[in-house]
Amino acid sequence: MSTIKVSQISKSFGPLKAVNEVSFEVEPGEIFGLLGPNGAGKTTSIRIILDIFKPDSGSVSVLGGNMTEEKKNKIGYLPEERGLYQDIPLDRCLVYLSTLKGLSENDARDRVEEYLERFDLTQSRKKKVKELSKGMQQKAQLITTLVHKPEIIIIDEPFTALDPVNTQMVKDLLLEERAKGTSIVMCTHQMHQVEELADRIALINKGRTMLYGTLDSIRRQFASEAVIVRSLDELPTDLPGVSQIQKKNSHTLLQLNKGTTAQDVLRELIKRNVQVEQFEIAMPDLDEIFIQVVKSEGVPE
Amino acid sequence: MKKLWLVFLYEYKKHVMRKRFIFAVLSMPLFVAFMIGIGFLSVWLQYNKEPVGYVDPNQVLVNPQQVPEKEKTLFKPVESIAYQDESAAKQALESGQIQAYFVFSEDYLSTGKVTMKTLTKASSNAKGDFGDFVSYNLARDLPKPVFERLSEGDKITIRSLDGSREMGSDNWMVMMLPLLAGVLFIIAVNISGGYLMQAVVEEKENRTMEILITSVSPTQLMAGKVVGDIMVGLTELVIWILFVVVGLKIAPLFFEIGPIPSMDAKYILLLAGTLIPAFVMVAAAMGALGATATEAREAQQMAGFFTLPIVVPFWFTSQIMFNPNGALAIGMSMFPLTAPIALPLRAGFTNIPWWQTTITISVLVVLAVFSLWLSGKIFHIGMLRYGKKVSLKEAFRRS
Repeated sequence: MSTIKVSQISKSFGPLKAVNEVSFEVEPGEIFGLLGPNGAGKTTSIRIILDIFKPDSGSVSVLGGNMTEEKKNKIGYLPEERGLYQDIPLDRCLVYLSTLKGLSENDARDRVEEYLERFDLTQSRKKKVKELSKGMQQKAQLITTLVHKPEIIIIDEPFTALDPVNTQMVKDLLLEERAKGTSIVMCTHQMHQVEELADRIALINKGRTMLYGTLDSIRRQFASEAVIVRSLDELPTDLPGVSQIQKKNSHTLLQLNKGTTAQDVLRELIKRNVQVEQFEIAMPDLDEIFIQVVKSEGVPE
Repeated sequence: MKKLWLVFLYEYKKHVMRKRFIFAVLSMPLFVAFMIGIGFLSVWLQYNKEPVGYVDPNQVLVNPQQVPEKEKTLFKPVESIAYQDESAAKQALESGQIQAYFVFSEDYLSTGKVTMKTLTKASSNAKGDFGDFVSYNLARDLPKPVFERLSEGDKITIRSLDGSREMGSDNWMVMMLPLLAGVLFIIAVNISGGYLMQAVVEEKENRTMEILITSVSPTQLMAGKVVGDIMVGLTELVIWILFVVVGLKIAPLFFEIGPIPSMDAKYILLLAGTLIPAFVMVAAAMGALGATATEAREAQQMAGFFTLPIVVPFWFTSQIMFNPNGALAIGMSMFPLTAPIALPLRAGFTNIPWWQTTITISVLVVLAVFSLWLSGKIFHIGMLRYGKKVSLKEAFRRS
């Protein structure tokens, strides 16, 4: 059963239709990438899921039904606009926010201690939040998202302000949570992170769902008829079925005519004794797909 | 509901445990103590304990005695020393034995004329204490009750025709209480409302709001804050009242302050019935301001809109006291924003018809509930809106 089921939700603010019949589902134990350019309607969709906004039409089911106060305790949320109480010590801030997620004060203290140690913030626990660096505040915010062991995690741009070491730590945490069966919705512009972590994605643009599915199926959908070849030899220019040869930095991209398969080209190269070091079907990366969709080049038939 | 109390406790402790709060709580009694101290210091600096002399050629004072000292007094009356003639008194003055001397005129008993002579300026207590000395010795031989009446004066009680209200000369509480309660109310409502407004604006500014409302419902969040911040204001009030009570207990150990009048239970009920709903009304309205405003400074400027009308009755204190049934006094005691000060003040000086009190308190209660409801509504609409205000029109339209 899906932990989040978004069905045909729409939401307008005045004349602006922020979300227009968006649908997707998130399964237990998966990382779901919710992508889209700024103003696409991602945050509004998330706020509708979290019951901050009511949709004008459509429905949302979270953990098998409508959002309740109890269900709020089972959700960890890291909003894009980070926010913590600035004028109080870090541990007091975290313990308070944890108790609002249903933990008893003692449990909250124990868990906060545990996470502070894991996030290397123990030394700073008595410092006021405003005295912490941006990266430290980001880690503290992640603690509030995870501390109550939620069944659903919704994180907006989780890697902002993190150095590579902490980025890796957060990735490991997310993978760990996924392994435990937690549903994770991740909004980010960092496509390489999505490619690395997400099982499925939905790409929203101008309030509408443009792409929805597994990463692999989407990339295949966008795959052009081209192959990447890396060779020590100069590639022949008269390969049959090849319409264009483009030299790139580390490889050569061969555009194929309709009806020519990658197998045909590989066979020809071997026949001509070309030393092939790398040969693969050219699949677009998520960045390219994102740009193509957002620039209204549309989804291929 | 549990989360409402978590919010309440957090909000309460956040303010009460701050140094700023402790400073604010202590600053008021310290200020009062300081002012009293300055008053004593100025009297002490002018006080001269050197005796005074007097020349009484016609023996106006027979067998004169010094005025008996009061049991509790910080400044003892100066001794008055008799001299045979003016030259002896003058010699004593020049040798520094006395600070001044007085000469009774020939016709003192019919004119009361006395001449004071001094080298510099005599202390103000010298003249007063010598006057007491003369009065005491002139009236000393009268029967004791007559002497006491003469020295202590009358105690006039003003009573309404139906006997339901009275004000005695020693019942200074009737006048002091509404004024004192009014001042404390204004301070407390500003503190509570200010904290509430600040808390809401801060949560918007530092973007904590989004985390909070995915953990607790906006209604519980706002209610927890309102209760928490009102309790902060009440805590200050209670501490100040304790200081006043302790002050009234300690003061008689050092000097006489006269009897402390007891307070009428009905009057206390009227005070509570007016001030509590007014408190909630203004504090909640200031919380709503916090939710509509885009930054703290802007909210503070807008807060004046609520706090200014509350102090207006103070400007008209004398009109309300001398004409408590005039149109101005009645109008102010019934208008919700001026009623918290004007109604108790007026009640100290007149019998307010029951229907006026009922209407005023009912309107205040209704407005307090409405204010809470509206602030919750505005809070819900404005909580995630950054850089754009929520208009009242919008609050009503979307409610």
